[in-house]
Amino acid sequence: MIVAENLTRVYTMGKVEVRALAGVSLEVAKGEFVGIMGASGSGKSTLLHILGLLDRPTSGSVTIDGTDVLALSDRQRTLFRLNRLGYVFQDYALIGELTALENVYLTSLVRGASKEEYIERSADILRRVGLGDRMDHRQSELSGGEQQRVAIARALVNNPSILLADEPCANLDSQTSRSILDLFARLNEELDQTIVMVSHEDWHKEYFCRIVTLRDGMIGDMVECQKEPHPG
Amino acid sequence: MFAGLGVSSFLAWKSIRRGNKGTLALTIMIIALIFVNLVFLPSIISGVVVTFDAQSIDFDVGNLVIEPREGSRYIDGVDGLQKKLEQIPGITGTSPRIAAGVTYFYRGRNAASTLYGINPEDERSVTRIADHMIAGEFLSNGDTDAIIIGTILAGTEGVAEGGLPSLEGVGVGDSVDVAYPNGATRTYRVKGIFETQSFGVDTAAFVTTREMSQVLGLDDQASAILVKTAVNGREEEYKTEILSYGVQEDVLTFREKSGGFVEQAIQSFNIINAISTLVSLIIAIVVVFIVIFINTVNRRRQIGILKAIGIDQQIIINSYVLQVLFITAIGALVGIVLNAGVTAYLTAYPLVFPGGPVYPEVEASAILRSIASLFGVSVVAGYIPAWRIAREDILTAIRG
Repeated sequence: MIVAENLTRVYTMGKVEVRALAGVSLEVAKGEFVGIMGASGSGKSTLLHILGLLDRPTSGSVTIDGTDVLALSDRQRTLFRLNRLGYVFQDYALIGELTALENVYLTSLVRGASKEEYIERSADILRRVGLGDRMDHRQSELSGGEQQRVAIARALVNNPSILLADEPCANLDSQTSRSILDLFARLNEELDQTIVMVSHEDWHKEYFCRIVTLRDGMIGDMVECQKEPHPG
Repeated sequence: MFAGLGVSSFLAWKSIRRGNKGTLALTIMIIALIFVNLVFLPSIISGVVVTFDAQSIDFDVGNLVIEPREGSRYIDGVDGLQKKLEQIPGITGTSPRIAAGVTYFYRGRNAASTLYGINPEDERSVTRIADHMIAGEFLSNGDTDAIIIGTILAGTEGVAEGGLPSLEGVGVGDSVDVAYPNGATRTYRVKGIFETQSFGVDTAAFVTTREMSQVLGLDDQASAILVKTAVNGREEEYKTEILSYGVQEDVLTFREKSGGFVEQAIQSFNIINAISTLVSLIIAIVVVFIVIFINTVNRRRQIGILKAIGIDQQIIINSYVLQVLFITAIGALVGIVLNAGVTAYLTAYPLVFPGGPVYPEVEASAILRSIASLFGVSVVAGYIPAWRIAREDILTAIRG
């Protein structure tokens, strides 16, 4: 569970102060699929970065599964990200020299899992995201949709408490985007996976359980669960 | 620092195997050439020393040389001194020599050089000139009208030897006139021509002691006595031993006889070598730094992503350091092979120095020193750019 209270984030750009977040409080319960929406510059990516421990707020607090994550050292934050969070980035962010399977098991390798264990688990997840026959392919040999599926498999391999996705469909056509969102929805339903996803596409709303719309760094609108029935 | 070395190795190996092969090969080649440069000059310096030592011992002065006391021109009582020296354990031969600056005349040409008077059998026990006759024969003890001449002094018809004394085409059987410093002139038949490749020896000539003593009016006297020892490299010990036997004359090792020439030459070579080594290592630092810098800058976003998904920055830095270690190791191996090729070539076609042909002497210590310094600078040059990028704020790195 994520509990964020009164988050502010102020950037200083030269002599100008930019208030990206101006007091956001948000709770995300276990198993929720939350969509963070808003216009460009509304602060949605900043909020995701703070919830994902990639950035620190200027003020406020963030607790994830009972841990005050702002009190952690940089090294502890790295370990927290490794063990508790999963990320999916807009442009897939795969490592070009690694195959799909290697990209997926890399974080398990860091966690010190046994070879049999991490290969079996990674292969299983890749099969689950529909890439059972593409495991030994490298990034350059995969389509955009396939690359994003690899990125999702990588994010899921360590059973994260929360899956954070920053506009994962921004570089994909609508058909591929739909298949990725279907996958998210399936993971959310079948594995009770908590997902926080940033999007600016209106039609993505139908997949979200809850929609948080940011305006000028504040929550402008909050729509409670409307995902029924699941469109996939 | 060494946490997650397995993951670092995994990332490094995949990057090497699947990265840009051209850049990898070029970097390895540059490291290899730097290695060759680091090893080559010291091997030539060692070769010069070995050549000079060998030429001095084998052809010029033996391991030690006994010279007249200060104020005396000749050693007196040579027979007795020779017997005394040969009693000393470890001394395997002695050869008294009379030396005189003479002028040679042949078919209207003349050349000034040194003429030595030797006992041929004694000389065989010390130097190897007798084994280096390229025409005719070495002297015999009874020869009085015979001379053997060095190949440079004998010369070639119509070829000047670039300032060195040359009679330009003396052959075996020819007659050569020799004007001694006391005004006496003798005509000798050329019995043989030798070539030692040591300029000092190949510009000289030899007659028997018997002949030269007669011309110069000497009796049981010599300008020097050359001493050959059973083992090379222990000249100082033998010198002490000889002095302990009550020898009153000056006793010099072949190095002392050279008057510090070799030491001065080595010092000069070492300065050149130090400059060359410094430049090579700076090139190594710059090359490795640029390769890793470009590599990390190009992967700045990827490094940010790796950190974002929970990979410790030390693992990322170590992966680059391991790549550098791999490149340096392969570069050093290729360098060893290239150096073996250069060494083989220069052994077949040696560089000719005034002291004789110089063969590269590749010492294990020079190789180890070069490998260690290459690894040292490469690791530093690889670590710094990787560290700079990896410690960057995650979002800054991800945004590129």
